[in-house]
Amino acid sequence: MIAKRIQPMAFQARRLYVELMFQVMGRALQAVSEVDATVQKDASALPEGFLFEMMVMPQGSSLIVEHVGNGRFHYHGNSAPRPVDLSIQFKHIAHAFLVLSFQEKTSVAFANDRMLVDGDISYAIRMTRVLNRLESFILPKLVAKRAVKEYPTDLHLPEKLMSAARIYLKVASNFVETVRA
Amino acid sequence: MSNKYYEFFCPVKVIAGKAALEHMPYELSGMAATRPMIVTDKGVRAAGLLDPVIAACEESGLEIVSIYDDVPPDSSTAVVRDIAGVYRSEKCDSIIAVGGGSAIDTAKAVNILVSEGGDDIAAYAGAGVLKRPLKPFFVVPTTAGTGSEVTAVAVIADTEKHVKLPFTSSFLLPNAAIIDPRMTLTLPPHITAATAMDAMTHATEAFTCMAKNPLSDAYATAAIKKISNSLLAVMDNPKDADNRLELAEASTMAGIAFSNSMVGLVHALGHATGAICQLPHGLCMSLYLPYVLEYNIESIREPLGELLLYLDGPEVYAATPASRRAEASISAIRRMRDALYKHCKLPRTLKETGKVVEEQLERIAEVALDDGAIMFNPKEVTLEDAKAVLRRAWA
Repeated sequence: MIAKRIQPMAFQARRLYVELMFQVMGRALQAVSEVDATVQKDASALPEGFLFEMMVMPQGSSLIVEHVGNGRFHYHGNSAPRPVDLSIQFKHIAHAFLVLSFQEKTSVAFANDRMLVDGDISYAIRMTRVLNRLESFILPKLVAKRAVKEYPTDLHLPEKLMSAARIYLKVASNFVETVRA
Repeated sequence: MSNKYYEFFCPVKVIAGKAALEHMPYELSGMAATRPMIVTDKGVRAAGLLDPVIAACEESGLEIVSIYDDVPPDSSTAVVRDIAGVYRSEKCDSIIAVGGGSAIDTAKAVNILVSEGGDDIAAYAGAGVLKRPLKPFFVVPTTAGTGSEVTAVAVIADTEKHVKLPFTSSFLLPNAAIIDPRMTLTLPPHITAATAMDAMTHATEAFTCMAKNPLSDAYATAAIKKISNSLLAVMDNPKDADNRLELAEASTMAGIAFSNSMVGLVHALGHATGAICQLPHGLCMSLYLPYVLEYNIESIREPLGELLLYLDGPEVYAATPASRRAEASISAIRRMRDALYKHCKLPRTLKETGKVVEEQLERIAEVALDDGAIMFNPKEVTLEDAKAVLRRAWA
């Protein structure tokens, strides 16, 4: 009985969590592309103006970033200025929650058919590499190990801390700018 | 509770064994198909492989209305449009693909156009675009390797835009796959070996990569056992119809396995090598398989060790300590490759192919890193890792 009453609140909390994580990840994608040379190298192979979307089916939360050139991303929030070029779609919000709460690695979620790719697969692989790199920077090692297939062996603590601090600072500034706007 | 989850789907009716082709008229009539069109290539026709197919249909009073036998090795949107035009003008109502991967993929794409309408196959590219069943579609494979008769994908080249268009939908799956030993009996030794190793790689990667599941595992292990038992027997005696059938069945089973569990780094490297150096797909699979297994070994020690049972039999499996079985499985695959090299000079290294130069390795690694199959490899692969595997496979 109590469980039944709590369920709608749990669903609402899950939806809000996924929405918040998309907002953080979108901003962090923009930030990491301004900070990390490896991400810039990966992203620079994408066409300029390339729009990437990550969303929950059918019309749930989403994040949209654009490659604005030279390996830099710009976060567009949840609305795209034109049709997106690549969309990674979670089949259900429960699946998005599994990934965004680091209970299931992104690669495992792909293997488990939790997500669909609409667009060029090679770009999807590239964006997954970028997301993995981002998670390795911004998450504590113990949590990051649950999110990525393999934690990069060449990522040492000083580089991780410096990069994470710069990414979080940029994410926070972006949040403040959004609120002010 | 474990996060374990999987999906498995294969609605293709498999019609396999002696006189399997003679079941086709009945199966077609069961789908109210009376005017089939055959899609094939010149090699298949020249080898006389259409004769038993046509005879089986005519004997049952089923007329083959049209035969298109000009499918090129890499099919294109223009070819698909042409065949769809013939299908429409001849008022056909079903398609029979007879051939290897290219003929089967082309026929899948033709089926989209003749079922959905229009002349622009590119409009249907991508995943999940098709929303309803297509025309009756049967596949008669003439190689034992690709598994295309049970996969829900087709790849067609758009020669004007210089891109390869992927089509993915469960509606692309044929209604039936007819596995008849007569269709592979005349396959040359070199192609027999390469295609069988393609099937072996499908099964091995299906069993060791990230999307493995209990159902695909069952198909994969059965396929590996059949190939291990029959491939060298067929190489010794190419007219051995029983072992030819075993290989053809193994190819279909490996196809069912990998289409439900995906593949990994062997395929990523193979796709890149095929695109850059124009090496046949089966050859690339045979070439890279042991090197990639060695790279992945610490991530797949348990399933790879289990494969020893199917590769070398119960006596060897029982006599090998559990901690050494993974290495023993790789050795078994290497021995098979050595035997194939003795039989038909199937290359074991990139250098032995004579078609790859060392300077191309860097580019192959870069392209492989963006291949969709790499997502399902059990171990993360960096550019340096891919280059290291290629260097080992070089000579």
